[in-house]
Amino acid sequence: MAAESGKRYGGVAVALHWLTAALIVANLILGLSMVPLPISPKKLEWYIVHKWIGITVFLVTCGRLLWRKIHPPPPLVAMPEWQHRAAAAVHAILYALLVLIPISGWIYSSSTGVQVVYLGIVPLPDLVPKDRVLASVLKAVHVTLNFSLFALVCVHVAAALKHHFVDRDAVLARMLPASKSKANAS
Amino acid sequence: MNALLRSLVLSLGLLHFTADPVLAQGVLVDKSEIRFVAKQLGVNVEGRFRKWKANVTFLPGDLAKSKVELDIDLGSIDLASDDSENEVKGRLWFDTARFPTARFVSSSIRSLGGDKYEVAGQLSMKGLTRDVVVPVVLRKDAAGNSAAEGSVTLRRLEYRIGEGLWADTGTVADEVIVRVRMVLPPTG
Repeated sequence: MAAESGKRYGGVAVALHWLTAALIVANLILGLSMVPLPISPKKLEWYIVHKWIGITVFLVTCGRLLWRKIHPPPPLVAMPEWQHRAAAAVHAILYALLVLIPISGWIYSSSTGVQVVYLGIVPLPDLVPKDRVLASVLKAVHVTLNFSLFALVCVHVAAALKHHFVDRDAVLARMLPASKSKANAS
Repeated sequence: MNALLRSLVLSLGLLHFTADPVLAQGVLVDKSEIRFVAKQLGVNVEGRFRKWKANVTFLPGDLAKSKVELDIDLGSIDLASDDSENEVKGRLWFDTARFPTARFVSSSIRSLGGDKYEVAGQLSMKGLTRDVVVPVVLRKDAAGNSAAEGSVTLRRLEYRIGEGLWADTGTVADEVIVRVRMVLPPTG
Protein backbone atom coordinates (compact mmCIF):
# COMPACT_ATOMS: atom_id res chain seq x y z
CA MET A 1 0.00 0.00 0.00
CA ALA A 2 0.92 3.64 0.00
CA ALA A 3 2.19 3.52 3.56
CA GLU A 4 5.69 4.86 3.10
CA SER A 5 7.97 4.67 6.08
CA GLY A 6 8.14 7.98 7.91
CA LYS A 7 4.56 8.82 7.01
CA ARG A 8 3.24 6.07 9.25
CA TYR A 9 2.34 6.36 12.88
CA GLY A 10 5.17 5.07 15.06
CA GLY A 11 5.08 1.61 16.56
CA VAL A 12 4.16 2.85 20.05
CA ALA A 13 1.31 5.00 18.76
CA VAL A 14 -0.04 2.10 16.68
CA ALA A 15 0.22 -0.34 19.59
CA LEU A 16 -1.53 2.03 22.02
CA HIS A 17 -4.26 2.79 19.46
CA TRP A 18 -5.15 -0.88 18.97
CA LEU A 19 -4.78 -1.63 22.67
CA THR A 20 -7.33 1.11 23.36
CA ALA A 21 -9.63 -0.28 20.67
CA ALA A 22 -9.48 -3.76 22.18
CA LEU A 23 -10.03 -2.49 25.74
CA ILE A 24 -13.04 -0.32 24.91
CA VAL A 25 -14.74 -3.02 22.82
CA ALA A 26 -14.17 -5.53 25.63
CA ASN A 27 -15.38 -3.12 28.29
CA LEU A 28 -18.45 -2.05 26.33
CA ILE A 29 -19.50 -5.69 25.91
CA LEU A 30 -18.67 -6.42 29.57
CA GLY A 31 -20.54 -3.32 30.76
CA LEU A 32 -23.67 -4.08 28.74
CA SER A 33 -23.77 -7.75 29.72
CA MET A 34 -23.01 -7.37 33.45
CA VAL A 35 -25.71 -4.82 34.29
CA PRO A 36 -28.78 -7.05 33.75
CA LEU A 37 -27.25 -10.02 35.64
CA PRO A 38 -28.92 -11.01 38.91
CA ILE A 39 -26.68 -10.28 41.89
CA SER A 40 -24.10 -12.99 42.43
CA PRO A 41 -20.40 -13.19 43.30
CA LYS A 42 -19.76 -13.46 39.53
CA LYS A 43 -21.55 -10.17 38.90
CA LEU A 44 -19.46 -8.41 41.57
CA GLU A 45 -16.29 -9.76 39.92
CA TRP A 46 -17.37 -8.52 36.50
CA TYR A 47 -18.03 -5.04 37.87
CA ILE A 48 -14.59 -4.95 39.43
CA VAL A 49 -12.90 -6.09 36.22
CA HIS A 50 -14.96 -3.53 34.25
CA LYS A 51 -13.59 -0.80 36.53
CA TRP A 52 -10.01 -2.08 36.14
CA ILE A 53 -10.31 -2.03 32.34
CA GLY A 54 -11.83 1.46 32.48
CA ILE A 55 -9.01 2.85 34.62
CA THR A 56 -6.54 1.15 32.26
CA VAL A 57 -8.15 2.97 29.30
CA PHE A 58 -7.77 6.22 31.24
CA LEU A 59 -4.08 5.57 31.91
CA VAL A 60 -3.36 4.40 28.35
CA THR A 61 -5.12 7.50 26.98
CA CYS A 62 -3.06 9.81 29.21
CA GLY A 63 0.03 7.96 27.98
CA ARG A 64 -1.07 8.36 24.35
CA LEU A 65 -1.67 12.09 24.74
CA LEU A 66 1.76 12.49 26.30
CA TRP A 67 3.38 10.35 23.58
CA ARG A 68 1.59 12.41 20.92
CA LYS A 69 3.08 15.59 22.39
CA ILE A 70 6.60 14.18 22.19
CA HIS A 71 6.11 12.30 18.89
CA PRO A 72 3.77 14.34 16.69
CA PRO A 73 1.62 12.27 14.32
CA PRO A 74 2.74 11.96 10.67
CA PRO A 75 1.67 14.72 8.26
CA LEU A 76 -1.94 14.57 7.08
CA VAL A 77 -2.88 12.49 4.08
CA ALA A 78 -4.16 14.63 1.22
CA MET A 79 -7.95 15.04 1.34
CA PRO A 80 -10.49 17.88 1.29
CA GLU A 81 -10.07 20.45 4.04
CA TRP A 82 -13.48 19.70 5.62
CA GLN A 83 -12.38 16.09 6.09
CA HIS A 84 -9.24 17.19 7.89
CA ARG A 85 -11.33 19.33 10.20
CA ALA A 86 -13.92 16.60 10.77
CA ALA A 87 -11.17 14.08 11.51
CA ALA A 88 -9.47 16.46 13.95
CA ALA A 89 -12.78 17.12 15.73
CA VAL A 90 -13.66 13.43 15.98
CA HIS A 91 -10.19 12.57 17.27
CA ALA A 92 -10.35 15.35 19.88
CA ILE A 93 -13.77 14.21 21.12
CA LEU A 94 -12.66 10.57 21.16
CA TYR A 95 -9.67 11.46 23.34
CA ALA A 96 -11.91 13.55 25.60
CA LEU A 97 -14.38 10.67 26.00
CA LEU A 98 -11.61 8.17 26.69
CA VAL A 99 -10.55 10.37 29.60
CA LEU A 100 -14.01 11.40 30.80
CA ILE A 101 -15.79 8.03 30.66
CA PRO A 102 -13.48 6.26 33.14
CA ILE A 103 -13.65 9.30 35.45
CA SER A 104 -17.46 9.30 35.24
CA GLY A 105 -17.44 5.60 36.11
CA TRP A 106 -15.09 6.18 39.03
CA ILE A 107 -17.26 9.01 40.44
CA TYR A 108 -20.37 6.91 39.83
CA SER A 109 -18.82 4.06 41.82
CA SER A 110 -17.93 6.46 44.65
CA SER A 111 -21.49 7.79 44.73
CA THR A 112 -22.83 4.26 45.22
CA GLY A 113 -20.52 3.79 48.21
CA VAL A 114 -18.30 1.31 46.38
CA GLN A 115 -14.60 2.09 46.36
CA VAL A 116 -12.45 1.47 43.26
CA VAL A 117 -9.27 -0.49 43.94
CA TYR A 118 -7.24 -0.60 40.72
CA LEU A 119 -6.08 -4.15 39.97
CA GLY A 120 -6.96 -4.97 43.56
CA ILE A 121 -3.82 -3.13 44.65
CA VAL A 122 -4.22 0.64 44.34
CA PRO A 123 -7.20 2.08 46.24
CA LEU A 124 -8.49 5.18 44.48
CA PRO A 125 -9.95 7.91 46.68
CA ASP A 126 -13.74 8.23 46.76
CA LEU A 127 -14.36 11.43 44.81
CA VAL A 128 -17.88 12.01 46.14
CA PRO A 129 -19.79 10.75 49.18
CA LYS A 130 -22.39 8.00 48.86
CA ASP A 131 -25.60 9.55 47.57
CA ARG A 132 -28.45 7.72 45.82
CA VAL A 133 -29.72 10.73 43.84
CA LEU A 134 -26.23 11.65 42.68
CA ALA A 135 -25.64 7.99 41.77
CA SER A 136 -28.65 7.86 39.45
CA VAL A 137 -27.51 11.06 37.72
CA LEU A 138 -23.94 9.78 37.35
CA LYS A 139 -25.16 6.46 36.00
CA ALA A 140 -27.08 8.32 33.27
CA VAL A 141 -23.99 10.42 32.53
CA HIS A 142 -21.75 7.33 32.32
CA VAL A 143 -24.19 5.52 30.00
CA THR A 144 -24.77 8.58 27.78
CA LEU A 145 -21.04 9.22 27.40
CA ASN A 146 -20.57 5.58 26.43
CA PHE A 147 -23.26 5.66 23.76
CA SER A 148 -21.65 8.87 22.46
CA LEU A 149 -18.33 7.04 22.33
CA PHE A 150 -19.94 4.11 20.53
CA ALA A 151 -21.54 6.42 17.93
CA LEU A 152 -18.28 8.28 17.41
CA VAL A 153 -16.26 5.07 17.10
CA CYS A 154 -18.68 3.99 14.36
CA VAL A 155 -18.01 7.26 12.51
CA HIS A 156 -14.26 6.81 13.07
CA VAL A 157 -14.30 3.23 11.72
CA ALA A 158 -16.60 4.09 8.80
CA ALA A 159 -14.29 6.96 7.79
CA ALA A 160 -11.21 4.74 8.02
CA LEU A 161 -12.85 2.05 5.86
CA LYS A 162 -14.07 4.64 3.36
CA HIS A 163 -10.54 6.03 3.01
CA HIS A 164 -9.11 2.56 2.63
CA PHE A 165 -11.57 0.95 0.22
CA VAL A 166 -13.11 3.92 -1.61
CA ASP A 167 -10.43 6.61 -1.66
CA ARG A 168 -7.66 3.97 -1.56
CA ASP A 169 -5.38 6.30 0.42
CA ALA A 170 -2.98 5.60 3.32
CA VAL A 171 -5.19 6.79 6.18
CA LEU A 172 -5.92 3.35 7.59
CA ALA A 173 -2.69 1.66 6.52
CA ARG A 174 -0.52 4.10 8.44
CA MET A 175 -2.27 3.08 11.66
CA LEU A 176 -2.03 -0.66 10.97
CA PRO A 177 0.84 -2.66 12.48
CA ALA A 178 3.83 -2.48 10.09
CA SER A 179 4.21 -5.60 7.97
CA LYS A 180 7.60 -7.34 8.17
CA SER A 181 8.78 -6.06 4.81
CA LYS A 182 8.26 -2.49 5.94
CA ALA A 183 9.45 -2.86 9.49
CA ASN A 184 12.68 -1.06 8.64
CA ALA A 185 11.27 2.34 9.62
CA SER A 186 11.67 2.24 13.39
CA MET B 1 -37.75 -16.73 69.82
CA ASN B 2 -39.06 -14.79 66.89
CA ALA B 3 -42.27 -13.92 68.71
CA LEU B 4 -40.22 -12.79 71.68
CA LEU B 5 -38.13 -10.56 69.48
CA ARG B 6 -41.22 -9.06 67.96
CA SER B 7 -42.84 -8.36 71.32
CA LEU B 8 -39.61 -6.73 72.41
CA VAL B 9 -39.70 -4.53 69.37
CA LEU B 10 -43.33 -3.63 69.94
CA SER B 11 -42.71 -2.77 73.56
CA LEU B 12 -39.84 -0.52 72.61
CA GLY B 13 -42.14 2.37 71.90
CA LEU B 14 -43.42 2.00 75.45
CA LEU B 15 -39.92 1.97 76.83
CA HIS B 16 -39.48 5.55 75.81
CA PHE B 17 -42.37 6.58 77.99
CA THR B 18 -41.86 4.24 80.89
CA ALA B 19 -38.17 4.97 81.36
CA ASP B 20 -37.32 7.36 84.15
CA PRO B 21 -37.77 10.80 82.59
CA VAL B 22 -34.76 12.16 84.45
CA LEU B 23 -32.51 9.42 83.13
CA ALA B 24 -33.85 8.79 79.65
CA GLN B 25 -32.15 10.90 77.02
CA GLY B 26 -33.78 11.18 73.65
CA VAL B 27 -31.22 10.64 70.94
CA LEU B 28 -31.00 13.42 68.36
CA VAL B 29 -31.84 11.22 65.39
CA ASP B 30 -30.89 13.75 62.70
CA LYS B 31 -27.37 14.05 64.08
CA SER B 32 -26.97 10.35 64.80
CA GLU B 33 -26.22 7.51 62.42
CA ILE B 34 -25.48 3.83 62.08
CA ARG B 35 -23.08 3.12 59.23
CA PHE B 36 -21.00 0.16 58.17
CA VAL B 37 -18.20 -0.77 55.84
CA ALA B 38 -18.06 -4.23 54.31
CA LYS B 39 -15.32 -5.57 52.07
CA GLN B 40 -16.30 -7.08 48.75
CA LEU B 41 -13.47 -8.67 46.71
CA GLY B 42 -11.03 -6.40 48.53
CA VAL B 43 -13.10 -3.30 47.85
CA ASN B 44 -14.71 -1.23 50.61
CA VAL B 45 -18.47 -0.97 50.30
CA GLU B 46 -20.24 1.57 52.48
CA GLY B 47 -23.78 1.54 53.71
CA ARG B 48 -26.01 2.64 56.54
CA PHE B 49 -29.37 2.00 58.13
CA ARG B 50 -32.01 4.61 57.51
CA LYS B 51 -34.33 3.58 60.33
CA TRP B 52 -33.49 2.62 63.87
CA LYS B 53 -34.57 3.41 67.40
CA ALA B 54 -32.31 4.11 70.31
CA ASN B 55 -32.99 4.28 73.99
CA VAL B 56 -29.90 5.64 75.64
CA THR B 57 -29.30 6.59 79.20
CA PHE B 58 -25.75 7.72 79.66
CA LEU B 59 -24.63 9.11 82.96
CA PRO B 60 -20.87 9.43 83.19
CA GLY B 61 -21.26 9.75 86.98
CA ASP B 62 -23.45 6.67 87.31
CA LEU B 63 -22.46 4.07 84.78
CA ALA B 64 -24.37 1.34 86.63
CA LYS B 65 -27.61 3.11 85.75
CA SER B 66 -26.50 3.81 82.21
CA LYS B 67 -27.91 1.73 79.40
CA VAL B 68 -27.93 1.54 75.64
CA GLU B 69 -30.63 -0.17 73.61
CA LEU B 70 -30.65 -0.09 69.83
CA ASP B 71 -33.22 -1.52 67.47
CA ILE B 72 -32.19 -1.44 63.85
CA ASP B 73 -34.69 -1.92 61.05
CA LEU B 74 -32.59 -4.15 58.78
CA GLY B 75 -34.97 -3.58 55.88
CA SER B 76 -33.99 0.10 55.93
CA ILE B 77 -30.48 -0.70 54.72
CA ASP B 78 -28.94 1.80 52.31
CA LEU B 79 -26.55 0.12 49.88
CA ALA B 80 -25.13 0.74 46.41
CA SER B 81 -28.31 -0.08 44.49
CA ASP B 82 -31.90 -1.28 44.86
CA ASP B 83 -30.70 -4.65 43.56
CA SER B 84 -28.12 -5.09 46.29
CA GLU B 85 -30.55 -3.83 48.95
CA ASN B 86 -33.14 -6.38 47.86
CA GLU B 87 -30.49 -9.07 47.84
CA VAL B 88 -29.35 -8.46 51.43
CA LYS B 89 -32.93 -8.39 52.67
CA GLY B 90 -33.30 -11.89 51.23
CA ARG B 91 -33.18 -15.28 52.89
CA LEU B 92 -29.42 -15.81 52.48
CA TRP B 93 -28.58 -12.51 54.15
CA PHE B 94 -30.68 -10.71 56.79
CA ASP B 95 -33.89 -12.57 55.91
CA THR B 96 -35.88 -9.51 56.95
CA ALA B 97 -39.20 -11.27 56.30
CA ARG B 98 -38.49 -13.46 59.34
CA PHE B 99 -35.98 -11.29 61.22
CA PRO B 100 -36.79 -7.63 60.56
CA THR B 101 -34.77 -6.17 63.42
CA ALA B 102 -31.30 -6.30 64.88
CA ARG B 103 -31.22 -5.52 68.58
CA PHE B 104 -28.39 -4.45 70.82
CA VAL B 105 -28.78 -4.29 74.59
CA SER B 106 -25.93 -3.22 76.79
CA SER B 107 -25.13 -5.25 79.87
CA SER B 108 -22.40 -3.07 81.32
CA ILE B 109 -20.69 0.21 80.61
CA ARG B 110 -17.31 0.97 82.07
CA SER B 111 -14.99 3.93 81.94
CA LEU B 112 -11.59 3.54 80.32
CA GLY B 113 -10.52 6.94 81.59
CA GLY B 114 -10.95 10.37 80.06
CA ASP B 115 -13.65 10.45 77.40
CA LYS B 116 -13.30 6.75 76.61
CA TYR B 117 -15.81 4.09 77.58
CA GLU B 118 -16.48 0.48 76.83
CA VAL B 119 -20.01 -0.70 76.21
CA ALA B 120 -20.48 -4.46 76.51
CA GLY B 121 -23.71 -6.14 75.53
CA GLN B 122 -25.55 -8.58 73.33
CA LEU B 123 -26.34 -8.14 69.68
CA SER B 124 -29.13 -10.23 68.20
CA MET B 125 -29.58 -10.69 64.47
CA LYS B 126 -31.28 -13.38 62.43
CA GLY B 127 -32.24 -15.24 65.60
CA LEU B 128 -28.66 -15.44 66.88
CA THR B 129 -27.28 -13.55 69.86
CA ARG B 130 -23.60 -12.80 70.35
CA ASP B 131 -21.63 -10.80 72.90
CA VAL B 132 -20.07 -7.64 71.60
CA VAL B 133 -17.84 -5.03 73.20
CA VAL B 134 -17.89 -1.56 71.69
CA PRO B 135 -15.26 1.04 72.55
CA VAL B 136 -16.94 4.43 72.68
CA VAL B 137 -15.59 7.95 72.73
CA LEU B 138 -17.82 10.62 74.23
CA ARG B 139 -17.36 14.24 73.21
CA LYS B 140 -19.34 17.41 73.83
CA ASP B 141 -20.09 19.70 70.93
CA ALA B 142 -20.52 23.50 71.05
CA ALA B 143 -24.28 23.18 71.64
CA GLY B 144 -23.64 21.10 74.76
CA ASN B 145 -24.73 17.86 73.08
CA SER B 146 -22.78 14.73 73.81
CA ALA B 147 -21.69 12.74 70.78
CA ALA B 148 -20.92 9.11 71.50
CA GLU B 149 -19.02 7.38 68.74
CA GLY B 150 -18.37 3.68 68.75
CA SER B 151 -16.90 1.33 66.22
CA VAL B 152 -16.99 -2.43 66.31
CA THR B 153 -15.92 -5.16 63.92
CA LEU B 154 -18.59 -7.83 63.58
CA ARG B 155 -18.21 -11.18 61.90
CA ARG B 156 -21.17 -11.64 59.60
CA LEU B 157 -20.91 -15.44 59.59
CA GLU B 158 -21.44 -15.54 63.37
CA TYR B 159 -24.96 -14.37 62.58
CA ARG B 160 -25.30 -16.51 59.43
CA ILE B 161 -25.48 -13.38 57.30
CA GLY B 162 -24.52 -14.23 53.74
CA GLU B 163 -25.12 -17.98 53.47
CA GLY B 164 -24.80 -20.42 50.61
CA LEU B 165 -23.02 -18.94 47.61
CA TRP B 166 -22.20 -15.87 49.71
CA ALA B 167 -20.52 -17.75 52.56
CA ASP B 168 -17.13 -17.50 50.80
CA THR B 169 -15.26 -14.74 52.62
CA GLY B 170 -13.11 -14.27 49.53
CA THR B 171 -16.12 -12.63 47.91
CA VAL B 172 -17.52 -10.76 50.89
CA ALA B 173 -15.19 -10.56 53.88
CA ASP B 174 -16.37 -11.95 57.21
CA GLU B 175 -15.50 -8.72 59.00
CA VAL B 176 -17.91 -5.82 58.79
CA ILE B 177 -17.03 -2.59 60.55
CA VAL B 178 -20.06 -0.96 62.14
CA ARG B 179 -19.83 2.66 63.20
CA VAL B 180 -22.44 4.07 65.52
CA ARG B 181 -22.76 7.75 66.30
CA MET B 182 -25.37 8.77 68.84
CA VAL B 183 -25.83 12.40 69.73
CA LEU B 184 -27.51 13.08 73.05
CA PRO B 185 -28.92 16.44 74.18
CA PRO B 186 -27.57 18.05 77.34
CA THR B 187 -28.78 16.39 80.54
CA GLY B 188 -30.63 18.17 83.33
